Amino acid sequence: MEPRIGVFICYCGGNISDYVDCERVREAVSKDPGVVVAKTFMFTCSDAAQEEMIADIREKGLNAIVIASCSPKLHLETFRNMARRAGLNPYTYVQVNIREQCSWAHTHHKEAATRKAIRLVRAGIAKARLSVPLEPIRVKTKPAVLVVGAGVAGLRAALALADMGLEVHLVEREKAPGGWVREWARVFASDRPGEELVRALLKALEGRENIHLYLETEVVEKRGSVGQFQVRLKGPQGEQVVEVGAILVATGFSPYVPREGEFGYGAPGVLTLEELHALLKKGIEGYFVYAGREIKNVAFIYCVGSREREGRTYCSRYCCTAAVHLGLVLAERYPEVRQFHFYRDMRTYGKYEIFYHNLLEKGAIFLRFEPPEIPQVEEAGGRFFVRVKDRLTGGEEVEVPAELVVLVTGMAPRPNEGLVNVLKLPVGKDGFFNEVHPKLRPVETVIDGLFIAGACQGPKNIAESVASGLAAAAKAGALLLQKELRLEPLVAHVLKEKCTGCGECVKACPYEALSLKEEDGKKIVSLNPALCKGEGACVPVCPEEAIEVWGYGHEQIRSMIQGLCKEEA
Amino acid sequence: MSQGSKRCDCLVIGGGIAGMESAITLGDMGFDVVLVEKEASIGGKMILLSKVFPTLDCASCISTPKMAQTANHPRVKVLTYAEVKKVERLPEGGFRVTVRKNPTYVDPSKCTGCGQCEKVCTVGRPDQFQAGLIARKAIYIPFPQAVPKKAVIEKKALSPCSQSCPAGLRPHGLVALTRAGKIREVYLRALKDTPFPGVLCRLCAGFCESRCTRGRRDGPLPIRNFVAYAARTFLKEDGPRPSFPEPQGEKVALLGSGPEALTAAYFLARKGYAVAVFDEEVGKVFADWGAPAWLLQAELKNLEAAGVNLVSGDLKTPSELKGEGFKLVLDFRPRGEEEEFFLREGEEGVFQVGGLVQEAEKIALAARKGREVASLVEAFLKGEKKKEELLEAAFSPPKLPAGAPLRNISFVDVIRAQEEARRCLDCGVCSECHQCLEACPAKAIDFSMKPEEITYECGAVILATGFKLFEPKGKPLTGYACYPNVITGMQMDRLLAPTRPYNWVLRPSDGKLPGNIAIVLCVGSRDRTGGTRACSRICCMYSIKQAQLIMGALPIAEITIYYIDIRAFGKGYEEFFQQAKAMGVHFVKGKVARIEETKNNDLILYYEDMEGKGGLKKARHDLVVLATGALAQTEVVQTFRGEGPQRDEFSFIQEKDEDLEPGCTTLEGVFAAGAACGPRDIPDAVLHAGATVAQVAAYLRRVGWK
Repeated sequence: MEPRIGVFICYCGGNISDYVDCERVREAVSKDPGVVVAKTFMFTCSDAAQEEMIADIREKGLNAIVIASCSPKLHLETFRNMARRAGLNPYTYVQVNIREQCSWAHTHHKEAATRKAIRLVRAGIAKARLSVPLEPIRVKTKPAVLVVGAGVAGLRAALALADMGLEVHLVEREKAPGGWVREWARVFASDRPGEELVRALLKALEGRENIHLYLETEVVEKRGSVGQFQVRLKGPQGEQVVEVGAILVATGFSPYVPREGEFGYGAPGVLTLEELHALLKKGIEGYFVYAGREIKNVAFIYCVGSREREGRTYCSRYCCTAAVHLGLVLAERYPEVRQFHFYRDMRTYGKYEIFYHNLLEKGAIFLRFEPPEIPQVEEAGGRFFVRVKDRLTGGEEVEVPAELVVLVTGMAPRPNEGLVNVLKLPVGKDGFFNEVHPKLRPVETVIDGLFIAGACQGPKNIAESVASGLAAAAKAGALLLQKELRLEPLVAHVLKEKCTGCGECVKACPYEALSLKEEDGKKIVSLNPALCKGEGACVPVCPEEAIEVWGYGHEQIRSMIQGLCKEEA
Repeated sequence: MSQGSKRCDCLVIGGGIAGMESAITLGDMGFDVVLVEKEASIGGKMILLSKVFPTLDCASCISTPKMAQTANHPRVKVLTYAEVKKVERLPEGGFRVTVRKNPTYVDPSKCTGCGQCEKVCTVGRPDQFQAGLIARKAIYIPFPQAVPKKAVIEKKALSPCSQSCPAGLRPHGLVALTRAGKIREVYLRALKDTPFPGVLCRLCAGFCESRCTRGRRDGPLPIRNFVAYAARTFLKEDGPRPSFPEPQGEKVALLGSGPEALTAAYFLARKGYAVAVFDEEVGKVFADWGAPAWLLQAELKNLEAAGVNLVSGDLKTPSELKGEGFKLVLDFRPRGEEEEFFLREGEEGVFQVGGLVQEAEKIALAARKGREVASLVEAFLKGEKKKEELLEAAFSPPKLPAGAPLRNISFVDVIRAQEEARRCLDCGVCSECHQCLEACPAKAIDFSMKPEEITYECGAVILATGFKLFEPKGKPLTGYACYPNVITGMQMDRLLAPTRPYNWVLRPSDGKLPGNIAIVLCVGSRDRTGGTRACSRICCMYSIKQAQLIMGALPIAEITIYYIDIRAFGKGYEEFFQQAKAMGVHFVKGKVARIEETKNNDLILYYEDMEGKGGLKKARHDLVVLATGALAQTEVVQTFRGEGPQRDEFSFIQEKDEDLEPGCTTLEGVFAAGAACGPRDIPDAVLHAGATVAQVAAYLRRVGWK
């Protein structure tokens, strides 16, 4: 078919046009073979520009388009949808990135940036000229979800998924569901015992036939791909395979455990937040007693295991409010106990501010420190002395006696190497699992059909963990409630007549999408398109050029290189 | 106007990030969603931001895909410039929601978003999408990335002046055109409503001026003088008048040439009738009333340009005229003292018009009568009205306010006139100057648009109405609105955004590059004297982001952030805070109590130095940014009939159980997403919206909606 190509160049409101002379780019490429129309827009992504491009596609009978704008990460889908609306096969659309890879990179040299943009657009046109219309790969989905972790996030997500009519396999490593929340004496913001929350969730779980709870069970193997995963579980009753359309990971966190001697940790009377919860849970009547010692003063030291210079540099988010809330619980039960809070920044954000205010009104004393001058805890005569340079009184050295020291410990990533390896979970620098994009796709991972929720993605309080569990359930629901999935067709394909069955590509594929198969008495490579990510590791290893990726064919790439290298007229 | 109810699964109120996210995900699940947004574009506050923390992505670049996805989703219907008026629970389950689609006065199917109208519009308003830093026009496209990218006209009821003109002129439009220096256009605009604007304004008692809002303060605008000036300018040139097609319709004769007759003749001629006016001396009434001869003669040419044949001389009888082929004869000759308006048929096809205005200062009333006669006669000739209806037609005269004395100013140049016209307050916003009507290449402007009510029956409602920012005028000690160089955080974000108003970070008082900027946190948050007692969650981080961006824009500027606590609690936020510190942003713990201005518009901040030696300290800065807190939007709750969703102590929507049932309000079937339940940053709002969607999906399935 005769190529009829439209080229549209974006100013990006100055992001591009401040450094690239877009009009010159348009002029330079407008005479390229096959180009029928070339235009510039202030924002190609704007509604009006899209409407105009649709009109051009229809009126001028275009069969391929090139848009030179930002990274395809941002707008590839936008423009494919636009092509679809115009009645054009979306895979005949080529996006050329002249922002991240040109204007932003060459702000110091407008002339060179413009010349580079011309070449990039030419390469895009060359690719468009050889583009092939493609149809998405259709995959039947299994209306079931595997939820890993039965803490509050996992439990609530499982309920929501079941409510949507999906089958749920809920896997928990421990003996009982409920996670850390079950261990906590009282939790904010509702000021209920943690157990009560867990009980409420478990009660809702009762009698649900479409939720299967597996305790003391681990995920040991995963096969298949989005829509059709086969997951092998190993539990007390042995191994079994479940088939699910999506996997939701909500494995939570591990509380930070201080090093021996860190703020006196190790000595009886120096507790972590978890240990304080355990103490409060016992429900001591009358006097506040620990290890036989009556407690009159409690010191809270904040940011233990958080906001460090190196390593755990992150803020654990929930601990300020948790400590202040426990302070209030203490003040209510033992009003005569004096409280000293050694903090850095009081992060009782949002409505939690009221807890902080109320605790101040109860007479708790707050002292502020800033590393490297951190509080020193010393034990003498059966009690502790916490010494600090209080920044709120001009750096004055203050010494506070305390019978009990509470280390406000943060959240640490939970060691989960086995699961990470099985599911190929993306782990961030901080050790928590990584989402695709914190704003656009906060519960999705780079692996399609694999979702993350709760504190395994980063520190969160209960409400936030539950919200993210529900959000992940919503995304999994959106994926599976339609019985069929449409996948990107930009995957590899084997040119059977060229394939010699050497198997080099099978070894190169990290997704196990390729295998050797007998066909017409000849051993050749066969591809499972649902597993293929279109990554192309197979392409360069093939000695016969017998495998290529749709949209990135050998001819296409060669013509792009020619387009890039073409001398300007 | 009401149509039958439409049906959908879920109606989302608010098109910000949480509303869009809810609508898209529900649509993906297979639910039919209607999203109602009160502004002219979806995108909410997020699309207005510069970049967003902690990744410093460009907010436009993340928002626009969501906006396009929302607008193009096959299962999502987006209604912009629309408000929810009423939410009622249906006895059989679900809700009936009444949505009012406000008139945009621009046909969205024709508008291409080219922006030609904005260039010619004569009325400026503070641009709400630029946080009021600059003006936009009364007709406007919200912003370059708007979805839909269509113009809308901000138009309240007619301005008092325009309302009060019996002749149907649009004095506000004429003033706005004068202000814009478009003097010829003033006359041309007036010509749309009367053939003799100059004479009319010379003789009229000035009802418009007596109603001018400005009259209550420093005297009304001299509207008649503006028109007189325009008439002089236009008529002196004696250039071409607006032309009309050759008359094609029936022949109509008018006897008499008072203001009623000439106005009727003018409007009939413009409708395409072949009109002739007969009088012994055409225009004599005006001359008797004291209209200057040159003006009268020049304005009679307007009638001729419209195709009216003016014939002076001995009068023929109606029968003679009928014999000459006139289908209709209208007899406007005075018949003594007549107060009541009437149309009386003499012989067949001859109507006498009675109740002519006798006083010169009521000429505008006469013009109105003439217009009405023209429209009655037109309806009769077209067969839309029967003769009986015509004869029964009554004219209810408008209640005329007292006039205003004609001011003795005669403008000699445009600058003086413009200066005077600048006092106009644009009471009705759009002045109906009609410049856009003429400039629009797509002929999309339609002033006849009316509000439209649509009712939806839906299974669930999501409130995604977001938050509003604290208005720091409520804390006068900040100096906001008094000192030009005290701005809000939103204004700073606009200064930094890609679609920024000045293309640079400038201080407003003198346009200089600021060199020493203060950012004051917790303005209207964590405060028991104004705003909210709660923390607003977003301000620490957006301020730190701004500090980093300012350092990029103004590399030599010093930036100081005055804070109580730095609440950098989210994923990657603490690292972002530490990065700002490492870049050299100064952080001072201390709450700023008071701001004063120096002679050169610098600002002195008084604050308690909590970490130094203590005590009160002063610091001088040349630009101050107030990080204003986030408050609840409360309007939406009032639309509920019967029991509405409960609100928490800060007026945000109360969640039934924040821990286990996020997104559920206290009312079954009503959900809330994002900052409607409390301030949230973008990632948290997106997560919360996702949670709400899960709740809605489960709920709709449980109640078996559909």
